[in-house]
Amino acid sequence: MKRLLPFIIILGVLGVAVGSVVYLTRSNSGSMAGVNANQSSSWSQPTPQPTLKPARTGVAGAEPAHTHGPANAPVKLEEFGDFECPPCGMFHPILQQMEKEFGDKLHVTFREFPLASHQHAIPAASAAEAAGMQGKFWEMHALIFEHQNEWKTQFDARPIFEGYAKQIGLDVERFKRDVDSDRVEQRIFLDVRRARSMGVGSTPTVFINNKEIPFQLLPADSLRVLIQDELRAAGTQK
Amino acid sequence: MIRTKWPYALAALLSLAGLADSLYLTVEHLEGRSVPCSVTGGCEEVLTSSYAVIAGIPLAAVGAAAYFSVFSLATLAIFGYRTAGILLRPLVAVMVLMSLWLFYLQAFVIRAFCQFCLLSAAITIGLMIVVLLAWKKGI
Repeated sequence: MKRLLPFIIILGVLGVAVGSVVYLTRSNSGSMAGVNANQSSSWSQPTPQPTLKPARTGVAGAEPAHTHGPANAPVKLEEFGDFECPPCGMFHPILQQMEKEFGDKLHVTFREFPLASHQHAIPAASAAEAAGMQGKFWEMHALIFEHQNEWKTQFDARPIFEGYAKQIGLDVERFKRDVDSDRVEQRIFLDVRRARSMGVGSTPTVFINNKEIPFQLLPADSLRVLIQDELRAAGTQK
Repeated sequence: MIRTKWPYALAALLSLAGLADSLYLTVEHLEGRSVPCSVTGGCEEVLTSSYAVIAGIPLAAVGAAAYFSVFSLATLAIFGYRTAGILLRPLVAVMVLMSLWLFYLQAFVIRAFCQFCLLSAAITIGLMIVVLLAWKKGI
């Protein structure tokens, strides 16, 4: 028994390590994770199929929310995003494409979830919200995402956002005041509070009819299938 | 037994911390999301950089394998397998060199630090000290 003890300890640690990786990647529903974990080690493990998580409601976010599409659309998509996060920037054109493809059947909401690790995340969220106070949230949202690489490397991104404000025809002086306003801060706070209540911890986190979509399913091809599934479930698929 | 082999016991504990750290980084790397790491920022720059992967394998997973090997060898050394203690020396030496290289990349090439990667480097330096102690004690 004594001779076997070190091997038992080693195997125990191996088991806990593999178990925790499988548990973590599966609880985050990662099929990709499962495959790569297999490559990096010779341990065989089943590849978990990513699926939607059960629906959550959460507390209310900022009202009125920034939305696109009819309020009675059968599929409601809600994104919690950070303007500085690279995958959020990559998700932006995907979502635009989905909106184009599904038209009136899709209702999209964007919620602010600026991460503390991003230097410009809060100024960017504030700029989008300030544009929203002049009715041009989505215009600013698109510009900020599309030019992510231009402003994220700057020391101070605010002048760039002011440039965007001018570009989309906002009252720039009002925009500058609004960026620092309590109202904008409050909106971001409320969105973040909603995010936390729905268990959001990273970006982008996207919900489809209140069910969290695993990050691996956010590429256009898999997202399209998910939207079609929801449409079918709602009985409005042609 | 533990009393005379304490450097190896310490090495085993350190490698467990390193294992947990690198497994966390592996999971984060595979998830690919932006993680809120606020102490030094920079995690996603580092974890999504081209240096985070070697031949399709996430570096963090290589690190996890290395820490697991250290743990196994240190455990065997505690139980009197002398060869295991000797094998620990070149392994930890390679890990120290790798850590130095990664530190250089973070400081001068990627220009972003990721605190969990720095923690791993600190653990590796700790392992080096412990293994040198064991060597000196001749155990």
